[in-house]
Amino acid sequence: MKKRTWILPWVMAAAALLFGSNTMAADETKAAPAGDASAAPTITIDKSEISNGGVIKVTGKAPAGKPVYLEVWAEGHDVRASRFDAEPDKDTGKRPYIFYITGEMPAYYKIFVPKDLKKVIDEEKKLGNKWSYSKLLKDLGADAAYSVPAKIKIDRHQSSLMASIIGSRGPLLEAMDEKQNRGRSMQLVKARFRSIGNVFAPEIDLKPDGSFTAELTLRKGIAPGEYKIAAVVDKQTRSEVKTFENKISFPTVYLANAGTSLNLIWPFLLTLAVAIFGVLMGAGGGFIMNPLLLALFPALPHTVVAGTVTPTVLFSQGSGIFNYSKINFISWKLGCGIGAAMLLGGFIGPKLTEMITLAQFKFAFGWILLILAALMAWQTTPGYLASNKKEQAILKEFKKRAEEAAKKK
Amino acid sequence: MKVEFWGQEFKVNMVVGCIGGFLIAVLSSMFGFGGGPFMVPLMTVALRLPMYIVVGSSLLAIFFNTSVSTIRHYQFGNFDLIFFLAMFPAAILGGYIAPQIAKRVSPLVVKRVAVVGLTLLALNLLGVY
Repeated sequence: MKKRTWILPWVMAAAALLFGSNTMAADETKAAPAGDASAAPTITIDKSEISNGGVIKVTGKAPAGKPVYLEVWAEGHDVRASRFDAEPDKDTGKRPYIFYITGEMPAYYKIFVPKDLKKVIDEEKKLGNKWSYSKLLKDLGADAAYSVPAKIKIDRHQSSLMASIIGSRGPLLEAMDEKQNRGRSMQLVKARFRSIGNVFAPEIDLKPDGSFTAELTLRKGIAPGEYKIAAVVDKQTRSEVKTFENKISFPTVYLANAGTSLNLIWPFLLTLAVAIFGVLMGAGGGFIMNPLLLALFPALPHTVVAGTVTPTVLFSQGSGIFNYSKINFISWKLGCGIGAAMLLGGFIGPKLTEMITLAQFKFAFGWILLILAALMAWQTTPGYLASNKKEQAILKEFKKRAEEAAKKK
Repeated sequence: MKVEFWGQEFKVNMVVGCIGGFLIAVLSSMFGFGGGPFMVPLMTVALRLPMYIVVGSSLLAIFFNTSVSTIRHYQFGNFDLIFFLAMFPAAILGGYIAPQIAKRVSPLVVKRVAVVGLTLLALNLLGVY
């Protein structure tokens, strides 16, 4: 009995809320056709050009008492985003193993929200890597502002173990409907931009009368070219789109595949240092280059880092082989034999790179480096050094003979 | 398999060599490194080959792997030409400068520095700090 009386006021309150919101909704639909033009927010921006990032001041007016969101995206430059869905389905518990990929993700996409929503964002930030883009959109009430990536074309591939072994993405599944596409695109936004700070920022100063100002900070290293900005109140009420341009100049260059612009001097100096050190320690620079690039340029996707460092390594190997082959110091039979097995491995590896997330990439690479460090530590132990000395002496002796033989020819 | 090299004959266990090589190849192409520091121990320790046959041949074996993985990365759109052009000349230049420095530093010291550096990098990747 007690319980029921306790529940009663709640039920009443809920009913009141329901009715209340109902009447409010009715009011809105009535008001909308009358003041359609006046309801749409207006915006002005203080400049139409920034140079490798900068601050854009936005002022505008929206209907009083409603939150306003600013949607900002890069118009001319698209990037790839992909996600491998291997999480068990909530209902069936089956893992779908579907690979989602798009080539149409805007190189820059961010929604600016009113300052008083900072708490919501901070709350989600506590989840670390596990934050959800769609949930945050909903919590912020910014669902209506999310429009541009919702329409991108997303391909779905049904992956399987067999397809992975032969290094294929798997057969293409039929296209998704609009709603599904929208949902999946949100996951891809997260996969691409990774951190909350890259896609949301509480910057809008909203006055009670509906006027607002915002200072939008656009980070360095974003794509050059045209950017669009629109203020959004809800699905029907969007402001007109304003355009500004981001200019970059050499040596800062836009990397189309990485979707970020970079001052080229830094990777040059970094590679130089790593290449020298790599030769000295007797390991290819790739081991140091990849993690350093990931640590120093977080904007670079790990797939592009791995995919671009590999050919750099290729040429140093090629020159090494050429030098050894001149003095006939290569066992072609042995090299090609093991090389055949490695050929297969090289076919599969890059496929796996794009299926894993950055976090998994870092985790696995971390352990690989620890193993390598252990290997190298072992190579500095006295026992190894003693046997190595003999080996090196034999190596030198044979190399001398080989060089002499090559000269004689 | 029997391999002849500079007048000596070696017996090579190709099963171990191929499985090990395959695994190293998957990892190295996946993460974009060379794989030499793993191949050399595999061939010297697991296959019991002397260093002088390993240095050149391991490089050749890895070269197969790296060239295929380069093509594959390119196919998947992971290759960025401009980024490559910024790093490539630096890598070549480094290759010329390094031998000159190599005469002046002890390889043991370099290795020890590398151990510390690699451990730090690894811990950074694992998110320890």
